[in-house]
Amino acid sequence: MGLSSVSTTGEGLLLCVFDLQRGQQEGQELDKILFFYPADLPFSTQLSVIGLSEGLITFTRIFSPEAACEVIEAERHSHVFYEAEPDIWMVMVVEKNKEAEAIWRIDALKELLKEVHSLFMLFHGSVRGILEKEPSGGLTRSHLYPFIMDYLRDFFIGKKLQLPSFRDCLKERRTVQMLTVGREAAIEVQTLVRILESCAGNAHCSSLILFQDLLVSTTLSPEDTINLFTYAVLRLTPHALSSGVSSWSYLRKGYSSSQVAAGSTPAPPGSVLERFYGSSDTSPSGDDRYQVIRPLQHGRWSKGKDGFLITEIWGPDVGSLDLVTPTISLKQTEERMYLCVYQYKSLTVILLIPVSSILNGEQGVSVVKQQILENASLKILKVEEKLSKGWGGENAYHVSGYRYLLVDDSRDISRASPPGKVTTLTKESLLALNKLREEVDLEKNQAKWDYTVHDKDMEMCIRAKNNAWVIARITRGKELYMVLEKANETLLYASDAVEKFSNRYCNGAFSSD
Amino acid sequence: MSGKASSSQSTTGFGSGGLSHVYIQHQPLHCSIRGSRGLFYDDGTKLLISTTSNQVISWKTVPFSPFANPTTDSISEGPILAVRFSLDEKLIAVQRSNSEIQFWLRETGEAFNQKCKSESESILGFFWTDCPLCDIVVIKNSGLDLYAFDLVSKTLILVETRKLNVSWYVYTHESRLVLLASGMQCKTFNGFQLSSAGIIRLPKFEMVIAKSEANSKPVLADEDVFIVTIYGRIYCLQIDRISMLLHCYRFYRDAVVQQGSLPIYSSKVAISVVDNVLLVHQVDAKVVILYDIFSDSQTPISAPLPVLLRGLPRSNSLTSQSNGGESESSETSNTNDHETIIYGDDWKFLVPDLICDVANKLLWKIHIDLEAIAASSSEVPSVLEFLQRRKLEANKAKQLCLAITRTVILECRPVPMVAKAMDAIVSSYSLSIKTGSFFKGIKVERSLTGVPNVNSTGSGTDVPTSRTDGLGKSIKYESNSRYNSGLVNRSSSYSASDSEDNGSSEPLKTISDNTPEAQPSSLQSQPPGPINNLVNPNVSEQQETQLATPAISPDEMYKFVFAAVEEEMVEEPSYLVAILLEFLRSANVEKVKVHPNIYVLTIQLLACSDRYAELGLFIINKILEPSKEVAFQLLELGRENLQTRKLGLDMLRQLSLHHDYVLLLVQDGYYLEALRYVRKHKVTGVRPLLFLEAAFASNDSQHLAAVLRFFSDFIPGFQSTTDFCAYHRVLGEMNGTITV
Repeated sequence: MGLSSVSTTGEGLLLCVFDLQRGQQEGQELDKILFFYPADLPFSTQLSVIGLSEGLITFTRIFSPEAACEVIEAERHSHVFYEAEPDIWMVMVVEKNKEAEAIWRIDALKELLKEVHSLFMLFHGSVRGILEKEPSGGLTRSHLYPFIMDYLRDFFIGKKLQLPSFRDCLKERRTVQMLTVGREAAIEVQTLVRILESCAGNAHCSSLILFQDLLVSTTLSPEDTINLFTYAVLRLTPHALSSGVSSWSYLRKGYSSSQVAAGSTPAPPGSVLERFYGSSDTSPSGDDRYQVIRPLQHGRWSKGKDGFLITEIWGPDVGSLDLVTPTISLKQTEERMYLCVYQYKSLTVILLIPVSSILNGEQGVSVVKQQILENASLKILKVEEKLSKGWGGENAYHVSGYRYLLVDDSRDISRASPPGKVTTLTKESLLALNKLREEVDLEKNQAKWDYTVHDKDMEMCIRAKNNAWVIARITRGKELYMVLEKANETLLYASDAVEKFSNRYCNGAFSSD
Repeated sequence: MSGKASSSQSTTGFGSGGLSHVYIQHQPLHCSIRGSRGLFYDDGTKLLISTTSNQVISWKTVPFSPFANPTTDSISEGPILAVRFSLDEKLIAVQRSNSEIQFWLRETGEAFNQKCKSESESILGFFWTDCPLCDIVVIKNSGLDLYAFDLVSKTLILVETRKLNVSWYVYTHESRLVLLASGMQCKTFNGFQLSSAGIIRLPKFEMVIAKSEANSKPVLADEDVFIVTIYGRIYCLQIDRISMLLHCYRFYRDAVVQQGSLPIYSSKVAISVVDNVLLVHQVDAKVVILYDIFSDSQTPISAPLPVLLRGLPRSNSLTSQSNGGESESSETSNTNDHETIIYGDDWKFLVPDLICDVANKLLWKIHIDLEAIAASSSEVPSVLEFLQRRKLEANKAKQLCLAITRTVILECRPVPMVAKAMDAIVSSYSLSIKTGSFFKGIKVERSLTGVPNVNSTGSGTDVPTSRTDGLGKSIKYESNSRYNSGLVNRSSSYSASDSEDNGSSEPLKTISDNTPEAQPSSLQSQPPGPINNLVNPNVSEQQETQLATPAISPDEMYKFVFAAVEEEMVEEPSYLVAILLEFLRSANVEKVKVHPNIYVLTIQLLACSDRYAELGLFIINKILEPSKEVAFQLLELGRENLQTRKLGLDMLRQLSLHHDYVLLLVQDGYYLEALRYVRKHKVTGVRPLLFLEAAFASNDSQHLAAVLRFFSDFIPGFQSTTDFCAYHRVLGEMNGTITV
């Protein structure tokens, strides 16, 4: 075997999902494979990648039963492991150093695996659940394949898959970006939340409100908030709907639209493969055998006349002209919810109504929608106006002189310098920060297994080759990363700069007490 | 007036259902005197006056008491057309004929006369005034004569004459306004306001009378015109019998504006004003309709209902019941020595809220039944607004408001409706804070004596002393200027609210500035509407109730509403949170400070439904403003939810509550960070032992050494304490074990 034997077909990426509980018998190895990218690799290669991964997992489990291997660094490849569900593994193999740009932060890649899996769970439930429903695996494959492909399509630049690299080190995947609002606006928003809840009568609804691509309010658990927020920014917000317009949000690259047109890029060509994955990527609803919805498909959402977003992804409602209202499942409550999205200008309001609470299906949903139009639309208008007035534009959170990333781990919130400003940093600075973040990741991951009572505080300050200061400071679960270019050379200056920033923008959270 | 009491007019008028919004309370003031020849009401001094051939017997009607003792003054015999006491009650003026008024000094019993100069003139009436120019105004068919009273020579000095044709006049002391009717139909009016700021002449205006036929020219009579004072504004109401309308005019300094008409259902109509509520008695129909002429709305507050007599002896026990509307006292009325006929012919309605039963010599005070009014409407926000405007029974109005608010919340009424109710309450509170009336009730006694008083009943103390000095006018002016300067202070302190109230209509605002006496009235009962009118120059009587306003402070909202309903709302915490939010929204709009206990309650409610995500947003966005109480509540909840604990800690730090913050840091094991914090913020009074114990518990000798070292530097003399010695030894042992 040997890692070098794994060719990454020029695209520098292999991504697979497999189930350790399947295919344990000789000759049934193919059963393990639930997803493989690129799908056109011969099965033998696929199996060798999976076999290697499986071997590593089994081996490392001997020493660490609870957390098997997380990453294997080979000479030319990095293998990133993520156990999405018990015995369901996602493995990503990325080629390194092919050119200078291919420098990753492993944790960022792992976050990507987490994200695609969480999104999958949001719409389809757990992989294990589907496997149990249909043990042959066909149903699972036909779900996973289009889903992950649709997800990956966002990362294509031209023909090339561009994974988050060191250039994205001032971003944090799987966090939520919040809009800062004044007290008055916040109260208005919260009263809107109450009105929304009351629209569905006695059903216990949840809601999520976004302004532009920023979160304003949520009543969901942090985990569900992240998932739904991510989906909203990817496909629902005004930016996402007018895809093609370049976005400042980290979640979108802004090239996606061209890919949508190209649509069929990574379709498995061979008929054998097609049968294996049960999918031809071009068919709108997946496959003939299985009715598979593809929520991440591009350009499938649009704004209806009444302000609600509509999509054909979930197909037409049987026996009526209406479209089926999408449903999702929440992680925290494992409840199936109707997904109603109302949009007014920059404001996106997502209302989740428990399926169980609505007895007459689509009809009941449209009653709720009607209620929203009647009771909440005025308030929505008011809130949008208030938020627009206080909105400082996409550079609102720019702090001149600083390039920063602020992460509140306990709340899963992050805020960063606008991407447009980050691009002004030199490559050296970014590489240095990437390196620094890797160090911090390492410390953090170790601390996780130390079972210490409290979060570890740390502070690192590096003078990069280009004389930039690269700083990381972690205080009680809050992380601050910072690049100061063209700064004074003394360390005192750097720490003063952090202090100032902390006092002004973080309520002194990072001030050296 | 007419002494004919037809007892055949049955008493069933009020006995039918017992439901009413207006009532008169048993007992009335009995004013029957043997040999009584006439019954008068002097609204300047608020005295009820009964006259015999040579006596003037007077009862105080403010404060109203059925047991008021009469005061008797002897005068010489003769016909009495009218009696009025001077505002200081030192003099009695009696109109003897249409050309002569006689005056008595009550102290000495001295008397002198004042007669018309020419034969053709006849006196229509007269009144005393607190206008600085003159003391008494005599209305004649040829115009007004303004006289000043000279104490030394005991004569009236003619100050000014206004020549006008006058058919009849209407005057109320409350408004200081005299309306003089003239013309064929008596529908052309001249008006003067004689207040302590001087004389204001109103523009001449005509009233509207519909014609029944082309040639008929109905003549307006004095009983068809009423001057009423509502919310410090002066209105004139005029009956138009042909069109069965009650026309409403509002007086501004430079204009008289018709403000719509109210329908009437009776040819005889009487008007009362109780606590700024307009009562239109439809005398023939024996019902009364209530209006709250506050905004432009002219819809009645309630359905027409009869006036109820409450508290007749036999049913006394019922009067204490809260639902006074159901008192069935009427049937027993025949046992009473005086039969009370509701809306009998002998009822005379006195300004503003008294009824005189001329035949039986009884005086009733009209009350409005706030409970009944509140109960008769389902429009909660408007009911609350109505109640919040009531000053007379502020306490009761307040309790009703609280009860209503509690009920709507307990009944889980729709949030938008409750939101409006919150708006009504909060804006009323905000207004009462701005005008100062919220705190007035607490020190009502002091404000009565401290503030220069224009109250007719109270002013007696000031003016007479100046008169007996014999210096006459000059001193009187002095007292007046003192009064004015007092007002300047007051008006300036409230100017903020003024400018807010009527920023829209500038030109008229100067009026209220120019008429300083207008200020006090607008202060004590100021509605948020435009006050650019000719304002009631009268400081209405201070209420006996402790409260000056039914406004409800946020603290009271918490105590009597939110905290009270909380226990019963355990099933619906999210509904209560929605209501609290609406309350906070209102408070924020009105810039009213909210007590932390409301925030704490909100936090508890959110936490008990596990809505920690929202709780976080509430804190981060400062919907719940930071305070020590809030921080500690968060910390308490932090036992179940770590994020919430962090929020609490952060809040303590932001509030610079150093001691608590340091203590919690140590508790959490961040003792070194706590030390750094102590050094940076120079927190004194920390107990080294806590830190030493924490460091010892972590079993890290370096840390323990650091802590010891820190306190040695930080606290002078620490090295000689027992703590130091003990832990120094411990450190030595620890290091010893390491080396071994």
